This record gives sequence, structure tokens and C-alpha cells, in this order.
Amino acid sequence: MMIIRNKIVSLYTAPLFAVLALASCKKQEYELPTASTNLQNDAIKRTIGPNLVTGTINFAYALAIVPEKGKLSSIEVEASIAGAAGTFLDNNSYYTAGNGADVGVPVGSASVTNGAITKVTFNKDTSAATLRYTYVIPEEARGKTVSFKFTGKSSNGETVTYTMGPYTISTMDIKRLLAVSNNNLAFISIADMAVYNSVQAAANASKIDVVYLFRNLTTSAFNHALVSPGADTSYLPGVTLPAGVNRSTKLRKVFNLQDYNLALLQFGIYIDDLDFQQIDLNDSPNFAINLRAEAGVWAETADGKYKAYIYINSVNAAGTAVISMKRWTVPGK
Amino acid sequence: MKMKSKYIMIPAVMLMLSIAWSSCKKDNPVDEDGLLITTRAQCYVSNFELLGSDFVTVRTKPAAIDTTAQTINVEVMFGTDLKNLYPQFELVTDAKLDPKITGKTDFSDLANPRSWTVVSGNRQVRKAYKVIITVQKR
Repeated sequence: MMIIRNKIVSLYTAPLFAVLALASCKKQEYELPTASTNLQNDAIKRTIGPNLVTGTINFAYALAIVPEKGKLSSIEVEASIAGAAGTFLDNNSYYTAGNGADVGVPVGSASVTNGAITKVTFNKDTSAATLRYTYVIPEEARGKTVSFKFTGKSSNGETVTYTMGPYTISTMDIKRLLAVSNNNLAFISIADMAVYNSVQAAANASKIDVVYLFRNLTTSAFNHALVSPGADTSYLPGVTLPAGVNRSTKLRKVFNLQDYNLALLQFGIYIDDLDFQQIDLNDSPNFAINLRAEAGVWAETADGKYKAYIYINSVNAAGTAVISMKRWTVPGK
Repeated sequence: MKMKSKYIMIPAVMLMLSIAWSSCKKDNPVDEDGLLITTRAQCYVSNFELLGSDFVTVRTKPAAIDTTAQTINVEVMFGTDLKNLYPQFELVTDAKLDPKITGKTDFSDLANPRSWTVVSGNRQVRKAYKVIITVQKR
């Protein structure tokens, strides 16, 4: 009997001990961590979304040292692929004012870029600073990866480094805010990422992929439309195509896909290389009619060389619209 | 001995309770999809919607549902991409659709309308509905 009783008692006492053990953990006093007195650094990437050629990647790099030990002397950034013109390291250290605005305080001389290395030398007594680095993505980085090595130096000879990346550079191209108009600038070339009138279209007949038209019909909702030249003529009422303009582009209507790079609206949606890789437009038609502002079309050119997303920024009932496009080159085509 | 029986009582009661609880599940029949089979014999489509590839409706007016002829007549806008449409059925309570709609559906063969079967809540009544599409004139 005693054995059974002991067993049962132990069943209850075990959780009790566990609770006590858990509670005892809380007794330890919290100690403030002791900050390192060495030169310290940190970095964040400030831009999001795909890294487009001619676009930028922004970083904030922070460097600090205990004032008694010395002051900051220089910051340099080395990119694995030299940035395009316009790459710079800001010589201001920013803080946020009460109204939320960024206020810059000059701490060094203007940055000097030499090949892949961009450098700012401090000319003020500075113990802590956060500098912003803007990397303009060069053409030669397309489809490759880029990484960045930040190096901070202080007057007492200490050096710290921080590596960011690697970041994949997109193979996409982007063209923003192209004006199109009914019966005039109506011929859109995905290959050239440009808009032509009928005379120019005749000269570039093999590159015309889409025709913009606006028809205000009473019998159906036609309105703004993007139709490929090779589509059935019922989708191109009253359109006279220049000689040789006959490509059949696959088009798929989309609504509410406000890509941030194209729409420049507040929505954090980005179309990336992966979207183009995965989308299958094989069973799509070659016309898209009744389009509105903030709608768009996925497109694939007749030769299969390009896939694109054409976004409609705005439309006007007078028969004009503003479009933007992202284009991806199909590998091997 | 008294002490011993007291301690045995507690787990025994808990065990009985759990057996009683689990036995309740036996009264609810479910079909092959894990859906409850009920006593309802009604079997019809109450509403029908058709969305384009941009997930915006392509209908020009509400679909005409004939529950006697078991047809759904829909007029779609001129220029609708008939190969990439998303049909949506609203059915009477507890009914289900066969085959299931899993994504975009090709309606381009206008001469041979697609059909779906509505299965009643008691799974005893089955009615096939034809979806007849006509395209608006330009």
C-alpha cells in the first residue's frame, strides 16, 4: 500500500518541483550589457524590390567609437562590380527631426569614387555617424550578383568591415510613363520599349507588338484596348495597320497589379524575374479590350523573345493613356 | 485501502468522460469529401458568376438560371477571353458541385456547353446544369 501511495505522491510532487524550478529562474538580476569600446559598425539595406539596371540600391552604414579612444577617420565601400555614374557615399550623417524629416549634418568631404571603391574622409571631429551609400546598378551587373564591403577606420588605427549581399541584379528592363494616343502614337514595341506613330511603325514594322486604341461604342464596352496587330479585325475597328505590321502578341488582362516600380503608388507589390519565369501565356488571346487605369496586361511577343507587363498608369476619355512596362528577356531566345 | 481507492477514482472518471465524448462523433455521417451529409433534398443553383483572367466579372447582366430546364444562360462582354474564365456557383444549403472547380475553365467551345452536377445535401439527388455562353455583339 505504501508503495502505491508513494508513487501517486510523486506524481503530484514532480510538477510542483518543476513549477518551483521555473519560478526560481526569475530571481537572476538583469545586468546591463557592457558596450564594446572598440570601433563598431552596422549596415542595413534601405531599398526593397527587384534590383533593376539603372536603378539604385541604397544602404545606411553606421560607424562609432568611444570619444576617449579616438574619432572616425574614413568610410569606404567596395562593390564587387563598379557602380555606374552617380554612385556615391553621402558625406552627411542624418538624424530625424521632430517633424519626421531627415536632417543631414556634413561630417566629411564629398565622396570620391575610384573604380569600385567609393570613399568619404571625415573632416569633423566625429564619434558616431551613419552615412548613406547609393549604388547605381550598371549594365554589366545585369543577371549577376553584387556584394558590398563597407570598411570603417578610426584615428586610433582600428579598422572594421561589414559585408552586405550578395544581391541578384534583375535581368528585367523598365520603361516608365510612355504616352499613347488613339490613331497617333498607337504602336507599341516591346522589343524597343517605345511607342511609335504610323510612319515610324512602318519603318519598324517587325518590332510592333501591340496597338493602342480607344473606341467609345454604344453596343459593347470596348473603351481603351491593347490589341496585337495580328488579332482578328473585329478587335481593331477602324485601324489601318502600316504595311508589315502583323505580329501576334499573347496578351492577358490583369487588374489591380500595381507594380511599385511602374505605378509609383503606395502598394508594395513588385513584379520580379521569377514572375516572368513562371507565367505561362500559351493559351492567352492576342487582344485585351475594355482596360481601365491601374489595369495591365501580361504580354509575350510573337517570337517568344520577350515577356512583358504593361501597366496603365492613367487613361483619358479623349483617347489617350499613359503606360509603363517591365520587360524580361526569355533566356536563350 | 481507503487512500488507494480515492486515487484510482480520479483517472477512472476522466477515462470514462473521454470515452463518452469520443462516442458522440458516430452520429454525424460525412461523405467522401469529409462534408456533412444532411437531410436536405433540395438541389439547385441559386446564383452564378463568371470572372475573367483579371478576376473581374465578364457578364453583361445577371445570369439567367432555369432550375426546371437546368440551364444557366450567361451573356459575356465582347472581347472576353473564353479560354481563361473562373466560374463561381452558389448552391442551395448543404449541396455540392461535381466535378469540383479547381481553377480556370475553358468555355471557348460554344457549341458544346460545359455542365456541372449539383448534388443535394442528403447526396441522393443529382441534377446536371448546362452553362450556355453567348458573346455580346460589338
